[in-house]
Amino acid sequence: MLQRFLDPATLASISGLDLVARTVVDGFVAGLHRSPDFGFSQEFAEYRAYAQGDDLRHVDWNVFARTDRCYLKRFRGETNTQILILLDTSASMGFGSHSVNKLDYARFVSASICYLANSQRDATGLIVFDDEVRNYISPSTRQGQLFRLLHAIEKTELGSHTDFSKPFIHFQEFLRRRGLVVVLSDFYEDPEKIVRAVEPLRYRGNEVILFHLLDPQEIAPQFREPLLLVDMETQTSLEVSPDYGRNEYRTKIQAHIEDLRSKARGAGLDYFLMDTGRPLDEGLREYLGVRQGRL
Amino acid sequence: MGFLAPWFLAGALAVGVPVWLHLLRQHKSVPLPFSSLMFFERRTQSSVKHRRLRYLLLLALRALLIVVLALAFSKPFTYMVPGLAGSGQKMVVIALDDSFSMRQGDRMERARSEALQLVGGIGAGNKAQVLAFSSGVRMMSDPTDDVAVLRAAISSIVPGDGRGSYAELTRALRSIAQSSRMPVEAHLFSDLQKSSLPSSFADVRLGDGIRLVTHPAATGEQPNFAVESVNAPRRVYDPKKVRIQATVVGYGAERGDLKVSVHLNNREIGSKTLSVPASGRATFDLTVPSLDAPHGFNRGEVRIESRDGFPGDDRYLFSIERADPRPALFVHETKGARSLLYFRAALEASTSSAFVIDAVRPEQAAGISPSRYAFILLSDVSSVPPAFEEALRKYVRAGGSLWIALGRAAAVRNRVPVFDENIAEAVYASRSQERFQTVAWLDPAHPSIRRANRWDGVKFYQVVRVEPGKARVAARLSDDTPLLLEKQVGEGRVLVFASTLDNISNDFPLHASFVPFIEQTSRYLGRIEESGASHTVGTFLELRTQKESGAAVEVLDPQGRRALSLEEAARAETIELASAGFYDVRRPSGRHELVAVNPDRHESDLAVIPAETLALWQNTGQGSKDANPAAGTGVQAGDERKPSSFWWYVMLSALILAVAESLVGNRHLNVEEPVERMEKGAA
Repeated sequence: MLQRFLDPATLASISGLDLVARTVVDGFVAGLHRSPDFGFSQEFAEYRAYAQGDDLRHVDWNVFARTDRCYLKRFRGETNTQILILLDTSASMGFGSHSVNKLDYARFVSASICYLANSQRDATGLIVFDDEVRNYISPSTRQGQLFRLLHAIEKTELGSHTDFSKPFIHFQEFLRRRGLVVVLSDFYEDPEKIVRAVEPLRYRGNEVILFHLLDPQEIAPQFREPLLLVDMETQTSLEVSPDYGRNEYRTKIQAHIEDLRSKARGAGLDYFLMDTGRPLDEGLREYLGVRQGRL
Repeated sequence: MGFLAPWFLAGALAVGVPVWLHLLRQHKSVPLPFSSLMFFERRTQSSVKHRRLRYLLLLALRALLIVVLALAFSKPFTYMVPGLAGSGQKMVVIALDDSFSMRQGDRMERARSEALQLVGGIGAGNKAQVLAFSSGVRMMSDPTDDVAVLRAAISSIVPGDGRGSYAELTRALRSIAQSSRMPVEAHLFSDLQKSSLPSSFADVRLGDGIRLVTHPAATGEQPNFAVESVNAPRRVYDPKKVRIQATVVGYGAERGDLKVSVHLNNREIGSKTLSVPASGRATFDLTVPSLDAPHGFNRGEVRIESRDGFPGDDRYLFSIERADPRPALFVHETKGARSLLYFRAALEASTSSAFVIDAVRPEQAAGISPSRYAFILLSDVSSVPPAFEEALRKYVRAGGSLWIALGRAAAVRNRVPVFDENIAEAVYASRSQERFQTVAWLDPAHPSIRRANRWDGVKFYQVVRVEPGKARVAARLSDDTPLLLEKQVGEGRVLVFASTLDNISNDFPLHASFVPFIEQTSRYLGRIEESGASHTVGTFLELRTQKESGAAVEVLDPQGRRALSLEEAARAETIELASAGFYDVRRPSGRHELVAVNPDRHESDLAVIPAETLALWQNTGQGSKDANPAAGTGVQAGDERKPSSFWWYVMLSALILAVAESLVGNRHLNVEEPVERMEKGAA
C-alpha cells in the first residue's frame, strides 16, 4: 500500500529511471495481481499456417507428423506485438509548476511502460522527437533492451518546438510490424492536425494511445496577478490578466482537451489525459483499468 | 490646531517609501516562462487597470498609515471653542483711527463716511462693535445689531492727539475674538501710518478667527514739515543765560526754507529762517540775551511756517519756569576756603545755576536755621556745634539734604555727624606703597554719577575710610575704600564724600568730571527734578509722592476743564496727558505747575504701510495656523480655550488602517504563492 500512489516529487528524488520504473510497476502490479488479462500485449503463443518464405526452423514438425500440415510454432515473446513509445521532448514539455515537469513525468511513464513491457517480453522501442526525430531505438526483445531504453529516456533533453507532421512521416518508416504505439506529448497543436498526423499509424494496424500530459497549472491556472508569460517554444511574450486565466483560458484548454479526445476517439485512437500533479501509478492504473474494461 | 511635538511631523516624509516601493513594483514585470501561449490572448488594458486599482488601494492605505502615525506622534491638539464652529455668525468690529495724524486733511471725515456706509451692509444676525483707537483702544459701543447705535458711535469719534498703535488695536481684537467666541471681521478705517506699527511684528499677530479688512483714509504720501523737538530749560534762574533749541524735520518733503519763531506768552522772542534739507532735519538755535518773563510758569511755543497740508504739527509747546536761585549753606573751616572756591566755580559754570551759596564757618553756624536751605554742605569740618548738629538732624529727618566732605580735619572725629557711621582711619596714600588711589568702581545708577561717570585719571592722595554700615556705596577707590556714600535718614538724604573738594587731598577739581558731579549732586540734594520742558501725549504725569497721599490735586486740561474727578483728585497718583496743550497742575504742596504736552512726532511721518507688510499683517489672521502654541497669540488664545488632544483618535485611525493594510496586503501575498511555484517549476 505504501507504493500505491507515488507522488511525482517522490519519484523525482529517486536517482535511476530503472528504479523508478520498477517502483511504479511493481507497485501497481502487486496491487492488481490475479488479473490474468492484464498487460499491454496479446500474451499467448500461436500456430500459424506456413507461408512461402517462412523460416523452416520454426515449423512444428510434430504437428506436421500428426496432421500432415505445416504450422509454424510461435513462442511467447516472439509474437508480432511490439510497443513503440513516442516521446515528445519539445520545449513546452519543460514546463512544470512543481518539482516534476512534464518531461520528467513523461520519462517516468515511458520508463514504467518499458519496464512493464519488458517483464511481459514485448518488444519495446522508443522514438524521441520534437520537430525532428531526435533518437530512435528499434523495438526488440533482446537482452539489454530495457537498459538501452532507460538510458535513452534518461538522456532525453528538451528540444525546440513541436511539429507532429514531420517526425510522424518518419515513424511510419520505423513501424514495419503491427503493434502498440504510445504517444507522450502535451499536444499543443490543433487537434485536427494532431489526429491527422497520428491517424496513419492506426491504418497500419497499430493500436495508438495518446497520453496527453498537462501540468495542473496548464489545466487550471491559479495566478490572480497580471503576468508577463513567455512561450517556452516560440519565446514570444504576452501579458495576461488573472481574470483571463481564471475564465477564458480554462474554457479554451478544456475545449482543446475535449476536441482532442473526441477527434482521437473518432479516429480510433486511445486518448488519456495525464495530470502531472497526480501520482504516477494512479494515472497508469486508471488508464489500464479503462483499457481493460474496454478490452 | 497645534502640535506638542511638531518635529515628529517630519516622519510623514517616510510616505515616500511606500510610494517608491509601489512605483518599483508597478514597473516590475518579470517574465514567467509558460509552456504555450496558444490559448492566451493579449489583455493588457484590463491587466494594467486591474493592477493599478489594486496597487492604488494598497499604496493609499500604506501612505495614509504613515501619515497618520506621524500625526499621532506629533501629539496634535485643537482648541475647543463651542461657540466658534458652526454658528455661522460673526462679529463685525469697526475700528476708527483717531490718532493725531487723522487731523490731516479730510482723513477723519472720509473714515467716518466709509464706516457709516459699512454699517448699512452688516448682515442680519451679525453683531457689530465700534472702536476708536490711538495709543489705546476705546469701546465706542457695545456689540449690537442696532444700526442707529453704531452710526451714533461712529459719528461721535473725533481725531485726538494720541499716537496710533496697531498693536493695541490687535490686542483688543484678539480680546474681542476670545470673549465673543465668534469669528471677528475687523474693518480698519485708518490712514495706515507706517509709524503706528510696533517694532515687533508679533505684536500685530491677529490670531485665528480674525479677518482684517482695511479701508485707507489717506490718499497717498503727503510731504510734511514738523517741529520734532524743542530743547528749552525747564527752569530759568538767570534770565541772561537762556538757550532754546528746536529741531525741524521734513518727512518726504523737498528741501525748504522755513521761518522758525519762538514765542513766549504769545509774544515772539526770536525768529530765524531755517533751511531744511530734503527728508532731513535742521536745528534751530536761539540764545535769548535777556528773557523778559515774569516769575512762575510761562507758555512757550516754537512755530514754523510750512504751508503743508498738516498744520497741527507746525507748533511745539514748552513751558519755562522763571525762578530765583535757591540758597545752599556751605560750612567750612578757615583753611578750607579753597574748597569753597572750587565748589562755587563749579556751580556757576553750569548752564542753569540753581543755587546761591552761603558760606559760613562752623562756629557761625550755630544760630542758622537749616530749613531755609536747599541743602547744606559740611566741607571737612572738624567740629560741629552740638546745637547745629541737632538742628541738622531735624532738618534731614524732615526731608533736608546734607552733604559731608571728609578731610584731614574731619578725620579727627571718630564718627561722621548725622551720618552716624564710624570713621575707621584717614588713609594717606603717600605713606603706603602707592602714591595715590584712583576710582575703581562707580555706581552709574546714582544721580550724582549718572551723567559724570568718567573719573579716569582722578588721583586721591588722602581719603577718610568710613565704615559704610547700612549706607549705599556709590563709588569705591582702588583699595576698596568707599569714596561716595549715601544714607537715608528719615525723609532726608546724607551724602558723604570721603575726601575734600579742594585740590589738596585729590586733584578732582582739576578734572572735567568735577563740574557735572557738583551740579548733579547739588540738584539731587536740592531735589530739583530734571523733567523736560514738555511732555508727549499719552505719557503719565506723577501727581503726588507717597508722603502726599490723601491731599487733593487739581488738574486743568488744555481746554480748561477739570481732568480729575473729586475722588481721583484725592487718590490719583498719576494722570495721563491725553491732549496736546498746557495742563495746569496744582500739587498737594500748593505748588503750581504748567505742563506743556505735544503730540508724538511719530504721527507727523505720514508714510503709509507698504502693501506687502499690510498683506502680511492681514495674513496673520484667519487661515493662519499657529503651529507652536507656546509662541505668539497661541498662548493667549489657549488660555481661555481648552486645548483638546485627539491623539487617541489618530491612533485608533492608525490601528484601523494597519488592519486594513494587513488584509489587503495579505491578499496580495496569497496571490503570489502559485506564481512563485510556477516560477520554481519552470526553472
